[in-house]
Amino acid sequence: MTSATARAAGRGAAWAWRIVPIGLFLLVWQALGSSRLVDTSFLPTPIMVAHALGDLLSGHEIRDNLLVTLWRAIAGLVAGAAAGIALGVGMARSAAFRGYLAPIVGATYSLPKTALVPLLILWFGIGDRMAIAAVFLTCLLPVVVHTVHGVTATPPVLVWSAQALGASRRQVLWRVLLPHALPDIFTGLRVALGFAFVVAISAEMIASTAGIGRLTFMYGENGAYDYMFAAVASVVLVAFLADRALLGLGAVCLRWHESGAGEA
Amino acid sequence: MTTKIRIRGVSKTYQSGDGHVHALDRTDLAVSEGEFVSIVGPSGCGKSTLLYIVGGFIAADGEVLVDDRAIAGPGIERGVVFQEYALFPWLTVRRNILYGLENRDLAAAARNRIADRLIGVIGLKSFEHRYPRELSGGMKQRVALARTLACDPAILLLDEPFGALDAQTREVMQDELLRIWLETRKTVLMVTHDVTEAVFLSNRICVMSARPGRIVEEFVVDLDRSVGRERLMLSDAFNKVRNEVWLAVRKQAVMAAQEAIA
Repeated sequence: MTSATARAAGRGAAWAWRIVPIGLFLLVWQALGSSRLVDTSFLPTPIMVAHALGDLLSGHEIRDNLLVTLWRAIAGLVAGAAAGIALGVGMARSAAFRGYLAPIVGATYSLPKTALVPLLILWFGIGDRMAIAAVFLTCLLPVVVHTVHGVTATPPVLVWSAQALGASRRQVLWRVLLPHALPDIFTGLRVALGFAFVVAISAEMIASTAGIGRLTFMYGENGAYDYMFAAVASVVLVAFLADRALLGLGAVCLRWHESGAGEA
Repeated sequence: MTTKIRIRGVSKTYQSGDGHVHALDRTDLAVSEGEFVSIVGPSGCGKSTLLYIVGGFIAADGEVLVDDRAIAGPGIERGVVFQEYALFPWLTVRRNILYGLENRDLAAAARNRIADRLIGVIGLKSFEHRYPRELSGGMKQRVALARTLACDPAILLLDEPFGALDAQTREVMQDELLRIWLETRKTVLMVTHDVTEAVFLSNRICVMSARPGRIVEEFVVDLDRSVGRERLMLSDAFNKVRNEVWLAVRKQAVMAAQEAIA
């Protein structure tokens, strides 16, 4: 066996070991229903969920609603990340600015932003704008906090080296401080991405006319728990793929960094 | 010879948690064009602080003149090499060396010519697309030196440039630096705690007192460096200067230790 195929086989084995616990979990779940220990009208078995998912995938409903939720999560994340990086850089570079914002960030960091949804409905009505605003607020703070850390942790000798090599203030920002903060910014983005789907779906459950959150809630209300689980499974898959995509992007952008191997 | 760097009455007091730290006290020093001056002294005597002030990285009381003009912050005519290499970890060897050239109005072909030449000089052709984390300490310091030389500064400020290297690599790097200096005759101000290194490389050695640092003794080193490292270092002339400087530094270190106990 060549070392390349040996490595590929090693990766295959590692994957298999990750699948085993999920397989066991599904088996136990299935056994609970099949053995009638649990009433399947309250907890449908994985096979029932798979059937419901197959049915949903053959129609438009799940795809249309997933796209609505995906758009809300990604738009809120991108806007929150852009604003978060800008605010974080500002806070890292100006002590006065940090003095103003740090207490606000600290006080609101652990506030569940979904608690603001009723207020956001008042401001934006029911729909995309409300959900995107909720995701935006949620994604903003982790990106701010990680950006501040990444920029302030830049060793002075890197800034001094750049200055002695003729870099202007702008160049120090774009070619020293931001690249140095990039690994931290990616960490913040990953935290934010996890929250983005949770908050988009929660906002939809509270008030929405479309989206996976509304769909899940509707199936739950009607007692169609197999379809409810199918809708949840679809969003789990999408969120997982989005996280992998972000990790992949990080691995490409952070080749130079110790974490650049892209370990999960 | 014309004076390249003039340091006049430079003092520096740090504000630290429980009071002031008086790092430098009314320090004076003049470095002529083409001269290689080393500053040695007990650790914590403020010698690196003095170098950072000349670099324009930290502000201080007193005056620093370069070519008879007061400095206002860092400038490309003063190239710096730090002990901890300070390479940009997100740039490859080649891009690190190109960094300063990219800040200037220079045709791409001209930049690449300079980079190619320096990569050849430091012998890292096969590593030019590697990132700093993939390099050894000696390689990193070669890249840092090449990155600084790429901008062709008139002055080199070296802050314990080989302090983090093992003894063998350090000698190789010293030989390289000596060769570069003999070729280019740049004005060099180097901070080191290694007396042998200072004697091997410098025209003049300034000994600093313990904190607050001041220059208390000066040694002019007049040695023929064309004879090679072995003959130079084994010569009586070399060892006479080395012993004198070593004693002067030791006297300061002992005084500092006694004051710390008292």
